[in-house]
Amino acid sequence: MADEAIIGNADQLRAVLAAAGASGAWDWDIVRDRLTVDARFAELYGLGADAADQPLPTAAFFRAIHPEDRARIRIAVAGMLAGSEFFSKEFRIIAPDGAILWMHGRGRSQLDDQDEPIRFTGLLVDVTDRKRTEERLRIAQSAGGIGTFEYRDGFATVSVSSEFCRLLGLHPADRLPVRTINAVVCEDEEPLIPEDGAEPASIDSVFRIRRSDDGADRWIARRGEAMRDSEGSGYRLLGVIYDVTDAKLQETRLRELNDTLEQRVAQEIDERLRAEDALRQAQKMEAVGQLTGGIAHDFNNLLTIITGSVDMALRRLDNSADPRVGRALDNAMRGAERAAALTQRLLAFSRRQPLDPRAVEVPRLLAGMSDLLTRTITEAVAIAIEAPDDVWTIEADPHQLENAILNLAVNARDAMPQGGSLTIAAGNRQVAAHQSDESHVSPGDYVAITVSDNGTGMDADTLTKVFDPFFTTKEVGKGTGLGLSMVYGFAKQSGGSVLIDSALGEGTTVTLLLMRSVQSAEPPADAMDEREPFGSASETILVVEDDDDVRAYTVGTLRELGYRVVEAHDGASALALLDKQDQPIKLLITDVVMPRMSGSELAAAARARQPRLRILYTSGYPRDAIMRDGRLDSGVELLAKPFTFRSLAERVREIIDKG
Amino acid sequence: MITGHVALSELEQDALTEIVNIGVSRAASSLRKMIGDQVVLSVPSVEVVSQRRAARLISEREVVDLIAVRQDFSGPFCGRALLIFPETNSLELVRAVTGGALSAEEAVEMEQEALAETGNIILNSCLATMANMLKRSLSMTIPEVLRGNGATLFEIDETTGSEGLVLFLYIDFAVRQRDIRGYIAMLMDIPSLATLKQLLDEFISRIVGEDG
Repeated sequence: MADEAIIGNADQLRAVLAAAGASGAWDWDIVRDRLTVDARFAELYGLGADAADQPLPTAAFFRAIHPEDRARIRIAVAGMLAGSEFFSKEFRIIAPDGAILWMHGRGRSQLDDQDEPIRFTGLLVDVTDRKRTEERLRIAQSAGGIGTFEYRDGFATVSVSSEFCRLLGLHPADRLPVRTINAVVCEDEEPLIPEDGAEPASIDSVFRIRRSDDGADRWIARRGEAMRDSEGSGYRLLGVIYDVTDAKLQETRLRELNDTLEQRVAQEIDERLRAEDALRQAQKMEAVGQLTGGIAHDFNNLLTIITGSVDMALRRLDNSADPRVGRALDNAMRGAERAAALTQRLLAFSRRQPLDPRAVEVPRLLAGMSDLLTRTITEAVAIAIEAPDDVWTIEADPHQLENAILNLAVNARDAMPQGGSLTIAAGNRQVAAHQSDESHVSPGDYVAITVSDNGTGMDADTLTKVFDPFFTTKEVGKGTGLGLSMVYGFAKQSGGSVLIDSALGEGTTVTLLLMRSVQSAEPPADAMDEREPFGSASETILVVEDDDDVRAYTVGTLRELGYRVVEAHDGASALALLDKQDQPIKLLITDVVMPRMSGSELAAAARARQPRLRILYTSGYPRDAIMRDGRLDSGVELLAKPFTFRSLAERVREIIDKG
Repeated sequence: MITGHVALSELEQDALTEIVNIGVSRAASSLRKMIGDQVVLSVPSVEVVSQRRAARLISEREVVDLIAVRQDFSGPFCGRALLIFPETNSLELVRAVTGGALSAEEAVEMEQEALAETGNIILNSCLATMANMLKRSLSMTIPEVLRGNGATLFEIDETTGSEGLVLFLYIDFAVRQRDIRGYIAMLMDIPSLATLKQLLDEFISRIVGEDG
């Protein structure tokens, strides 16, 4: 009766289990070698409904098992029959409808007093769905390279998947100690599995690890959720890890690329800024040049009037006059001359000075300068001029060259406040093709004029800036900063170059390279007549000048010299005069910069009418009207404003006498 | 599971696992009788690995020092069997086996003896079952207790190039509601393992052969 009750309960149990879609039960009588199964087992195995609860041959246990799993299960059952206590196997069965179902068979043996197994009973549970899910999870893990883990706060071990172990280079296991897992994480990183009992702020994190098996450095991402199964219980960490090394490396490469990109962009910007600075500087210089030119033009006109008038006054001063008047006029003249020199410098610096290059013999030019130099340079400085006679002839504007040398000499003097020695030397120099870069000139024959001092010298940084306009090493107010740049401007304008060599404490040598000329130098003018060369009334000069005061002064001077003068205030009326001339005009003196018709246009028109007409330009600033590359066109004569009574007289005489 | 020239097939591994399971079941039964309380022993899986790998494998799993009971065996195949516990577990085991009646000091005194006895029961049972199931006879030395880490237990010798193989079996060991993690390792050279493999095949064909 107790047995009946058990059977009744077993029926109920079976019903519940069957409803759960789950199970069959078996009872293997080892002693009698008989198998008894329940209805669900019989149904799953396709044994027929009446097979339930009937003794069956034990071989029936294996009948429905998938052939691939059969051997395995036979071995496991053999173990049970030989004395193993527990049976827990998953295997496939082929159901009567052909469906393949995954079963989890779980059983245990019953031993007699001698430890011999007598019964083997168990339960068969359909785990097909779970198995499928597991399969999907396994594929997801292996194909996706994702390892799962579950950690319960306070436990020393973590449940892990084999992919989890593989990612960390650990031997596959179901459980791993927390410390084993965290040991693969690189030292400065936080632990992969929290160790301090505190719930991590964020599960989502990236770790640098050293893989346990091959020692490879990898980046591992951790994602997941922390959950609590009940209030007050510790948290449970359920998550995945996956390798993000490639992404990290790409990120790093990209960042490096980005970083260098920034660097490259910064470089480009720097270069552009430098170029812009240079351009701005050039534009500034251009603007200054324009301004200087404009000022020089008007200023020189005014200076012409001033110097002319003072000159005139001085010449009219007789001996009975108050000597103070003479001194005052001399002072006025010197002031005007200094103003003219300043204007000249500004033009030179902006490379807009009209150059009048001639064949120059440097030794003679230097010899002529010695007086001037001795006066300019203090006695504490010994001056030596070394210019052998075989120095080649060069072509340069002699006045500007003197100016340049004087400038360099003054610089040298200022570099030697305690005194020293200044050497000005001239020598021949051939610049070969391979030297042309360092000399900044095209290959050829040059005359090198060197100005050396043994003064303070300059450091490399200063050297790079010496030619910059307005750069000066002198105290504020002592230098204009235009000296060297003026020299540079002159040299460049003359097709030469300036080289500078200096070191702190070792003095400075500036070398002026000027191209050799094939022409031989003009013989120096005969000792100058003290008296101004006069003209005669048979010589008619046409003066064209838009500035009435300048014209009045010019005309007055020429008339005083005895010339016959006709005048015009612009080009058109000048041409009209030329057309109806009753006496032949010997010389056309014209301003260069005039409204409507420029001096050179007038000259061209006049030459068309009278080809042999001599022309003298007067200009404070001729712009480019009569110059090419900073030099006067051949056959063009220029008298720079302001001019004096004497310079006008000499120049006019010279030109008329030439032809 | 490929090591050297000898690899056990899945079926061979299953067979070995079952044979060892029979052995530990018998040992559990002996222990139950000895201590008069519930003892559950089971071996879920087996792996064949190199000695070096075995050392690494165990040190990955166990962060503390290990304590082991060693028995050498010889016969058609010979080698060395180790029953390994994490050191922290060994006193637990001793107290569990001795019924928790011992003080900590007594447990420490008893440890060596109790471990040697427990290990002897388990290893003897396993080896005897193997011999029985594989229809061969094995002789065994008396048990010895060792302490150390994975490398020392598996006697990794850096100077020799060749190394033996280890049959690595995990044991779930539950005594009086205490879960104790342990391992059985059998160190064998390649010829011995080849012999074992052959004997396992014979065993399998005896079992599965019935199925036809």
